[in-house]
Amino acid sequence: MAEDFLHDYRKAWSFMIDLDHVSKQYEKGLAAVDELSLHVDKGEFVFVVGDSGSGKSTMIRLLLKELEPTSGIITVNGRVLNTMRHGQIPKYRRSIGTVFQDFRLLEEMTVYENVAFAMHAVEAPGRLIKKRVPQVLHEVGLSEKYRSLPRQLSGGEQQRVAIARAIVNSPQILLADEPTGNLDPRNAFEIMKLIEQINHSGTTVLVVTHNKELVNQFQKRVIMMRNGTIARDVEEGGYIEA
Amino acid sequence: MRPSSFFYQIRQGFKNIGRNKLFSIASIATMTACIFIFGALFSVIMNVDSVRRDLEEKVGVTVFFIEGTSDERMQQIGDEIRAIDHVTEVTFTSADEAWENYKAEHFASNPELAEGFKDNPLANSASYTVLVDRIERQQGVVDQISRIPDVRQINQSSAAVRNLASFNQVFTYISVAIIVILLVVSVILIANAINLGIQTRSDEIAIMKLIGSTDAFVRAPFVVEGLILGLIGTVLPLLLLFLAYSGLVRALLMRFGFLGEMGDVLLSPASVFAVLVPIGLVLGLGIGLFGAWITVKRHLDV
Repeated sequence: MAEDFLHDYRKAWSFMIDLDHVSKQYEKGLAAVDELSLHVDKGEFVFVVGDSGSGKSTMIRLLLKELEPTSGIITVNGRVLNTMRHGQIPKYRRSIGTVFQDFRLLEEMTVYENVAFAMHAVEAPGRLIKKRVPQVLHEVGLSEKYRSLPRQLSGGEQQRVAIARAIVNSPQILLADEPTGNLDPRNAFEIMKLIEQINHSGTTVLVVTHNKELVNQFQKRVIMMRNGTIARDVEEGGYIEA
Repeated sequence: MRPSSFFYQIRQGFKNIGRNKLFSIASIATMTACIFIFGALFSVIMNVDSVRRDLEEKVGVTVFFIEGTSDERMQQIGDEIRAIDHVTEVTFTSADEAWENYKAEHFASNPELAEGFKDNPLANSASYTVLVDRIERQQGVVDQISRIPDVRQINQSSAAVRNLASFNQVFTYISVAIIVILLVVSVILIANAINLGIQTRSDEIAIMKLIGSTDAFVRAPFVVEGLILGLIGTVLPLLLLFLAYSGLVRALLMRFGFLGEMGDVLLSPASVFAVLVPIGLVLGLGIGLFGAWITVKRHLDV
């Protein structure tokens, strides 16, 4: 019995993301995530698809430790989130880059400042910031626009800034919640290529999306969620309607 | 915290004030009003207290002897009084000096009336004037003097000092109440200014928290903002008070200077502000810090 228990936890630590029978019930009593079990390996690229209200965003928020699970165990890169103290959360979140559908850029800051802000926020040394920010802006193809304000950029460019900000601290995991939701097909494809490129450099990627074309084009692992649990989990799959 | 992070936070604090101009100005104006009123009340309290202390030093008790007490015995009594704790000064007035003083005081305009007295009518009025370090200790000293043999009578003239002391006490209570209300108002206003800033920057705070900023790092620019508002809101009224107080002292000196001691009625600006500036700064910075702290604390649970 004890050996099985230890075996399960050793296994959980070997994954980059491990959700073990995780449920999250909001106050109204409805379970947004219901007995969800999911494993994501280091360096994997996973699409999470599903209708609105299927529990995708709750899962992202649980992984960011914005929410506490009602039951179940969440382990990320060997750290059990359930027992993590408030003071340990900042250090944990530094290992995760996050990209949102609405970009969430700071409007009064330039492209450079938006990206540098993420490094200031983790108290990186000034000279490292000066070196790293131009490097990342080059990677996302925005070297020329470092002095622009977000409102002077196209949607695709704004999302590139958001991606640059997410990866500037070299996270081990990139969580992208509908990163192409506000973009036209061409920009959406380019953003997904960029995310794939980041994945190729070793970062584990979890992309929540509704974009069927992209899911079908990229042929990655696809997890379909329905009613807070996994309805389908396919390697190199496509987007199949529920 | 790294030096680069430290200066980044200071810059952010200044930027916050700039982004939030209207509320920053409102906070500074309220702080200025509060600290000004506090400073004015404090100056009055200091001056009333100074007058009280001054009077305490000057108003003493007068000790008379029973009839026929010898000069030698009087001297012994003087030594016994000097030996009592808290006695700061003992001055002897002979019967002749007492009569001369009386004449100077009451017969100055009609000296011929005094000539009618052949003998000293105050022959039995030799006395000691005894000063005590604090007025509240006077009664204890009087009790001890009254137990000395050959002491006939002790006159206390401390009523005025007592009245002044109780006035100062009541005035201090009222002032403290007003000051506490003003301080609470200041904290609420600064908290409001910072709260507004936090709400307009809730995205920024949420992003900072998601990226992995510590609570201290998120809090720092707001604390800097609170401290800057507190500092400006303190320095400004202290400067205004200094100008007003110096002007008042100068005006009193020019108007009443010829009365000699009247010029000393008010404490010098230097002596008032040596106390007021540190207290004002601690208060102002404290209000700024406290206002920022409690406001940010409510928004950190991201």
